[in-house]
Amino acid sequence: MVQTLEDLDYLENCRMSDNEPITPEQASEDETLRLTLRDYLQSGLKTEVEPRAYTSEQVNEIINRLQSLDETDYRNKLIIAGFTLTPYKTDDDDDVEQACETCMYYLVHRRFCELPELMLPVDDEWSCRLWRI
Amino acid sequence: MANIMWLQGGACSGNTMSFLNAEEPSACDLVTDFGMNVLWHPSLGMELGDNLQQMLKDCVSGAIKLDIFVFEGSVVNAPNGTGEWNRFAGRPMKDWVRELSDAADFVVAIGDCATWGGIPATAPNPSESQGLQFLKRDHGGFLGKDFKSKAGLPVINIPGCPAHPDWVTQILVGIATGRAGDLALDEFQRPKTFFQSFTQTGCTRNMHFAYKVSATEFGQRKGCLFYDLGCRGPMTHSPCNRILWNRVSSKTRAGMPCLGCTEPEFPFFDLAPGTVFKTQTVMGVPKDLPAGVDKKGYIKLTGAAKAAMPAWAEQDIFVV
Repeated sequence: MVQTLEDLDYLENCRMSDNEPITPEQASEDETLRLTLRDYLQSGLKTEVEPRAYTSEQVNEIINRLQSLDETDYRNKLIIAGFTLTPYKTDDDDDVEQACETCMYYLVHRRFCELPELMLPVDDEWSCRLWRI
Repeated sequence: MANIMWLQGGACSGNTMSFLNAEEPSACDLVTDFGMNVLWHPSLGMELGDNLQQMLKDCVSGAIKLDIFVFEGSVVNAPNGTGEWNRFAGRPMKDWVRELSDAADFVVAIGDCATWGGIPATAPNPSESQGLQFLKRDHGGFLGKDFKSKAGLPVINIPGCPAHPDWVTQILVGIATGRAGDLALDEFQRPKTFFQSFTQTGCTRNMHFAYKVSATEFGQRKGCLFYDLGCRGPMTHSPCNRILWNRVSSKTRAGMPCLGCTEPEFPFFDLAPGTVFKTQTVMGVPKDLPAGVDKKGYIKLTGAAKAAMPAWAEQDIFVV
């Protein structure tokens, strides 16, 4: 299993083309990285869960920060996007549970976040502050 | 024979360019097949100077019967309500507009600027622009909400930025051939035959809309443009995906979000930075939901749709 993000250089090309279905090799690479990201979050990586990106200005500010990152800087992607392993729930909106599985950027079958600034393998129950439905 | 007079106010000529590209029927067909007589048009009119001024006066007096008055562009009232910023044939254009509208059997507003004020009327609206009978969503506009042309109809609004050429020519044919009585207008005086359905109706991305797969970049062939890129197709009334542009495509088919240009609020959010080509959200939920859908229903539908999404929906199914 890959233990460090530095070991993940080979995954630079894991971003698949829109035109092609995911291959078994890509699925395997996704899973490898997904496990690594999960390890980071389970081991207590402090991410910027709040403030949530509830306004266009907040979204733009976070996106701008993400755009300044190296494509393989996964750790900081997790931090800036405010990832958690469980859905985020607001007090003032009891109908909305912010989980990747309902997010517009989430590819259900690939279990992958397709927001261009993230492009990360994630999971149904994960969440981040760029969630949008 | 139906006499048509076409004038331009605060306009970019986009609707004229569109009109000249009409195909079904074409601008030539209007004359050769449907008995229309184009008295004057900014790009086609032969009269100049005094002769044009006299023609306009004759239309106002009734010496020349004016069947259809077409207006493109906003009515410019600046400065201070005088209209002097837009003079035409010796006087403010708005004075001609008022008198020709009163003289014509039918008045047709072409494009957003003539219908609701459009981009010129966007805040702070320095040209004091108005549409003929609306200012954005407010009924009234330059001619007032009670205006009716001699035939008893309000201004017939054909919005768009620009309006599709065939919307224009088909409505003109309908009027010129005595079928104006068949025109059903909606609350914004748009012909229902074109503006009852949505831009989304016929969009090739509807499957992606249904399964909540988002396009994340312009030009992507898969994914719906509504969720992230600000597409207004689900809440905009137009037949852009039924009557295709140049008979081949539409914005959404080409990967370009609908801007909602047939709706009175266009351009939306007064073009504030960050509002164009970006779906506006409140706590992650689109601020403007598809017409007739409430927030709770939208959230439930999204959860169900994503849960049911087939694998192919995540891929580009339009193989070259």
